[in-house]
Amino acid sequence: MQTAMAMVLAFTGGFVVMVLEMVGMRLLARDFGSSFYVWTSQIGIVLVALTLGYLLGGLVADRTHRPRWLGVGLVLAAAFTGGIPKFSASVTHYLVSRHAADQEIPLLWQKLDPALGAMLVFLPPCLILAMLPPCLIRWAASRVEHVGRISGFIYGAGSLGSIAGVFVSGYILIDVLPLPAIFRGTALVMVGMAAVCLGWNPEPQRRLSATNA
Amino acid sequence: MPDRQQRAPWTWLLAGAILAVHASAWAAVVFEAQSPYHHILVIDDRGRRVLSFDGTQETRMSLQDPLQGHFGYTELFHYAWLWNTNLSRVLMLGLGGGSSQRSFLHRYPQVRVQSVEIDPIVVQVATNFFQVRISDRHRVQVEDGRVFLRRTRETYDLILLDAYVKHRYGSQIPQHLATREFFELARDRLSTNGVLAYNVITVSRLGGRDAAPALARTLLSVFPQVYTFQAQDSLNAVLIATRSARRLSNAELVQRGIQLATSGLNAPPGLWQRVGSYRTSPPAGTQQALVLTDDFAPVESLDRRSR
Repeated sequence: MQTAMAMVLAFTGGFVVMVLEMVGMRLLARDFGSSFYVWTSQIGIVLVALTLGYLLGGLVADRTHRPRWLGVGLVLAAAFTGGIPKFSASVTHYLVSRHAADQEIPLLWQKLDPALGAMLVFLPPCLILAMLPPCLIRWAASRVEHVGRISGFIYGAGSLGSIAGVFVSGYILIDVLPLPAIFRGTALVMVGMAAVCLGWNPEPQRRLSATNA
Repeated sequence: MPDRQQRAPWTWLLAGAILAVHASAWAAVVFEAQSPYHHILVIDDRGRRVLSFDGTQETRMSLQDPLQGHFGYTELFHYAWLWNTNLSRVLMLGLGGGSSQRSFLHRYPQVRVQSVEIDPIVVQVATNFFQVRISDRHRVQVEDGRVFLRRTRETYDLILLDAYVKHRYGSQIPQHLATREFFELARDRLSTNGVLAYNVITVSRLGGRDAAPALARTLLSVFPQVYTFQAQDSLNAVLIATRSARRLSNAELVQRGIQLATSGLNAPPGLWQRVGSYRTSPPAGTQQALVLTDDFAPVESLDRRSR
């Protein structure tokens, strides 16, 4: 039961990250255009968020056995995500308009501006979402002998969610929903994930020494 | 970026087979590069130089006379003179092989052109292989068209957009260059009598429709009038949006054409004589089409949506 719940959370987390990445690209194109650097930035920054999130999530997982903390993080991430359509324009406007008008933007900034934009708008929620998998493995693995299997399940569910997120946003969401609705919907899904975390009380893990005894 | 009329599959097969046999004898690849955006080929083929992006012909130019051999639709941009007889500052978003740049700069000495091209390798190709000259009269900036429009403080008499992407899986408009917000940016950078000219590809596939009505509708949400010029030798159409609110009848357009023909303006031959042959009303289905916005621009699914 715990494993199933962890897998659902991992799947949803993977899904949401990819929706943010794909749909976020459209948002960035408004001010940065759709140059190759914009795609490069968005993909790169989401991977940065995942890396940092995994690292942080791992630290959190070892320190606390209470999903509540992550639930609070997810609520914050959801609030941030729901606000993206409102504040992203001011962030990207600021980045673009600090260059003198009527002059070509230096190549370095053509490359770095979209990355900075992606960092300010998409890194925070993706980072929090990426904290989930290491924590989920810790919480779902009530017996240390099952850690291998469970981490496999969590990785698999997360990747499957990402795959679904890519295709659902690219093939369906962008065609049927306005961008603000997609972000608000994503925020709602994150609130749901937060609720699950807040209400989850995982079984305490039995230690290796205890099983040997 | 033109789209040829559909032909029966067997004619294509036959043509393909003949080409495959003879291509090596006819065509020579002069330049090849992979840019961040396209696989770029420059091919010399029986007196004609061709620019190809990902296997689709982008520009054609006669090697004898660089002002000849171009795709017919590019001449439709010159109809902008019908609404503004004092064009001098022209912004062209998209350079490609520079058919329009070459033509405007050569024909109209009073015109200065600012080109914006997203792909730096395309700029090199245009200057090295397609006789595009960069000068005081022709400045080129490597940037996304929308980013340029957003940052520039210049105003233009004509903004010309030829940024369609066409490949074997169909044609596609860059979404951020097709929304109401984008056209508002463009309008704000146009002079009082300014004109926007937009190349679209109309597809007449059975049952399917195309982006032209949605684009016309979106233009109409920003500009008071939109006129259509359908190319006669390809599926391209040029939509001309004007800041002037008064709708000109076809008779008035013909009249203006006659005046321009005698004004000494060195436009492409026969251009003004053909004015009367266009049905300039917006494309069928424009009233029911979707206004594309930054929030909702499903350009990938316009075919299905308008069915």
